[in-house]
Amino acid sequence: MKVNSSAAAALMGRKTRGVLPGFGLTLGYTMVYLSLLVLIPISAVFIRSSSGGWAHFWEVVTAPRVLASLRLSFGASLVAASINVVFGLIVSWVLVRYTFPFKRFIDGMVDLPFALPTAVAGIALTALYAPNGWLGAWLKPLGIEVAFTPLGIVVALTFIGMPFVVRTLQPVLEELDREVEQAAASLGASPLQAFCRVIFPALWPALLTGFALAFARAIGEYGSVIFIAGNMPMRSEIAPLLIVAKLEQYDYAGATAIAVVMLVLSFAIMFGINALQNWAASRHGER
Amino acid sequence: MSIALRGVTKQFGQYAAVENIDLDVPTGALMALLGRSGSGKTTLLRIIGGLETPDQGQVLFDGQDATLWPIGDRKVGFVFQQYALFRHMTVFENVAFGLKVKRRGERPSAPAIRTKVQELLALVQLSWAHDRYPAQLSGGQRQRVALARAMAIDPKVLLLDEPFGALDSQVRHELRRWLRRLHDELHFTSIIVTHDQQEAIEVADTVVLLNQGKIEQVGIPDEIYDLPRSAFVHRFLGQVNELPVLLRDGRAYIGPIDISAAAEVQTGSARNIALIRPHEIEVGQASAGWPATVLAVRVIGPIVRLDLCADDRPIHEPLEAEISRERFEAERFTIGQRVGMRFRRWQVYPAAA
Amino acid sequence: MGRLLLIVTALLFLCVFLVLPLLVVFAQALAKGFEVYYLAILAPMAWAAVKLTLLVAAIAVPLNLIFGVAAAWAIAKFNFRGKSALITLIDLPFAVSPVIAGMIFILVFGTHGWFGGYLRAHHIRVVFAVPGIVLATMFVTFPFIARELIPVMQSQGKDDEETALSLGATGWQTFWRVTLPNIRWGLLYGVLLCNARAMGEFGAVSVVAGHIRGVTNTMPLHVEILYNEYNYTAAFAVASLLALLALLTLAGKSILEWRQPELRHAVRRPRDRTRRAYS
Repeated sequence: MKVNSSAAAALMGRKTRGVLPGFGLTLGYTMVYLSLLVLIPISAVFIRSSSGGWAHFWEVVTAPRVLASLRLSFGASLVAASINVVFGLIVSWVLVRYTFPFKRFIDGMVDLPFALPTAVAGIALTALYAPNGWLGAWLKPLGIEVAFTPLGIVVALTFIGMPFVVRTLQPVLEELDREVEQAAASLGASPLQAFCRVIFPALWPALLTGFALAFARAIGEYGSVIFIAGNMPMRSEIAPLLIVAKLEQYDYAGATAIAVVMLVLSFAIMFGINALQNWAASRHGER
Repeated sequence: MSIALRGVTKQFGQYAAVENIDLDVPTGALMALLGRSGSGKTTLLRIIGGLETPDQGQVLFDGQDATLWPIGDRKVGFVFQQYALFRHMTVFENVAFGLKVKRRGERPSAPAIRTKVQELLALVQLSWAHDRYPAQLSGGQRQRVALARAMAIDPKVLLLDEPFGALDSQVRHELRRWLRRLHDELHFTSIIVTHDQQEAIEVADTVVLLNQGKIEQVGIPDEIYDLPRSAFVHRFLGQVNELPVLLRDGRAYIGPIDISAAAEVQTGSARNIALIRPHEIEVGQASAGWPATVLAVRVIGPIVRLDLCADDRPIHEPLEAEISRERFEAERFTIGQRVGMRFRRWQVYPAAA
Repeated sequence: MGRLLLIVTALLFLCVFLVLPLLVVFAQALAKGFEVYYLAILAPMAWAAVKLTLLVAAIAVPLNLIFGVAAAWAIAKFNFRGKSALITLIDLPFAVSPVIAGMIFILVFGTHGWFGGYLRAHHIRVVFAVPGIVLATMFVTFPFIARELIPVMQSQGKDDEETALSLGATGWQTFWRVTLPNIRWGLLYGVLLCNARAMGEFGAVSVVAGHIRGVTNTMPLHVEILYNEYNYTAAFAVASLLALLALLTLAGKSILEWRQPELRHAVRRPRDRTRRAYS
């Protein structure tokens, strides 16, 4: 508390405030609330995990079961985010460029994975892809099992990550100047050439951002995955689930060690996205 | 109320927005602060209004130090370029706002507020619009509402920050004249910020020209137009032709024209330039003055502009001359015609390094 | 031709990944008829879960609302050093796995946590009790309202507030009569999104709740319990209520976006919106 209010005071030090009241009050409140609810609790993870010593930390995170879960979490998230990039591009392109019936409704539905509680998504996807489900029954004769396998995890992570890609791409596509494409066409470029040489270069920072956002969300995802995953150690057990398992055994050192690995990676992705967006913004001079 | 600034300085980070400004605004004056964006004119206005606090210096209201008075106690009416009307309130509610937020003891009764607002709306000729929302009004109407709102608190000073900047030229012109009339009727002290020299000269009785946070010149409009104290002021207040002043054998020339007789010519090694306004160039027969060729003729209502290429001058830097329509009708200049130029007036300044 | 192919591909993808999961919730919930559905929803345990969920949202959303308004006021109306860092910190909970969000409060308030001894000595339960659920929910919904309001307030500038002050209004009068009406749609938008997440949060709440039936079960947790007991119809019945909430949220969101088009795309564009803070 003391540290934070003095930090707020330091921020207030410069005298270019203007006349609007409430700066000290609102910034002070913001800092206190942020510290109490977010910063101090998160720091608990790092402090707890370091209490066991480096050797113990290393031992925990390199245990085969932990490694397998991290590999699965990152692998499945990577696959899901990649699927979302491909289909997210198609979906946002269609939503921005074409008109068709119920477009507004469909556009609104894209946010469903944001709004639908993850547990509901989890049981719904499980019911769909279970061997006797609407889709599972079709896939089973083809030899494809989705529910209770790593493939199911990918499906769930694709579901929750999809809006990130679409909603990142849409505004960029909307701002894209169509005349540039027409100019390319008038200069003799085929539609494919126009896409690859004119549209894609303008789009890829947004694509990468959408990918990173979907990826970051997928790594930490829990609710929608655990129902469909099967949760078998070494095979279909994601890292967040392993944290829960360790917490239930009161193995706080183990749980915090995995958490630290995930937090560090998530924060790295977050700062990467920030850097990418700033870079893209300065390059394209958009405001 | 009279306003005085004494040594007012304001920095934003490393950047000095205004530097050591001294200025007196007498009671009842309508003063224009004129300058480009970044000249410090808006900062100065905001300091007077209490929206910014100066780093150094004093703001005096009727001789009292008002530097640190809170904005609400200053009795200033503020009008912004983008109107800053409260979008969720009707015109009536906007104008009544300043009365309704008064402390209980000072607040007028509801009927008194209504009467006052109706008077003000009549003054700005918007009585019919009292239950409209700002979005339903045109730009000029909105700005008049903003003015009525500012006047509702019986301000001692009216501060207008580019009030007509967002309007088209026809409406601007009408509102300027209207503002001038209003000011003459009501006699409060007003300060208007503008980047438009036309507007400043048309509306104000004193013009303050600011450049890079400093005052370049203060004066009545005629004076500042006719007797600019620097090349900057001269250029800022209208079109100018720039010609080098050549020194030969102790005499000074603009082209072939000997200007040595004019007292203000500084001889010496410094390079000088002469600034000549288009209407100060007289165009006549080729036999007299500086020979030139007519490059272009543009008739603009009552005046006619000629582009002239003086002999010995590069063709891509033509001079611009302005003559009356009557004179043009008499002389009938045509493109390619040879003419002679004479300068009715000019002003010589040291050329900037 | 290519255009048709693209549209069909997009619609097929959205159908499989959005429409079918939603339909299956209602289909399963009603699989045994309306009567069973009503019984499942009206079961005491289900009601207890509904009440707890409402309680948690009723605490978490207003607190985050106050925070969001305060943070947006400081960030949008003033310049100070460290502003961009502050905005990044506000977004931090979005980068944290829900499971970790729940765990941090066990580390702080749990039996072996920093304040565990103190809390036990004073018979205060935080973890495995309602306060823990509220805290975890507050954490995961922390950024929603602030990040909606910051760009809205920034785009509106300070002219309105300065005018109100120059007309003699006090700081509070300015806030209540001028600022708040100006930001009301953005505020509602943020509240809507915050509330949806608060009522639907599963991972974080699941970790701190401890699954005490009828005491610490929110609706999503109740869904899980029913599901794990193979009581599918009841699980989907409760889930259908949450799905309905999601649909209402989306509808409300669409209406607000229609009223205020600049709210669109607000859900997840962290950087470009905050960047406007400095331009």
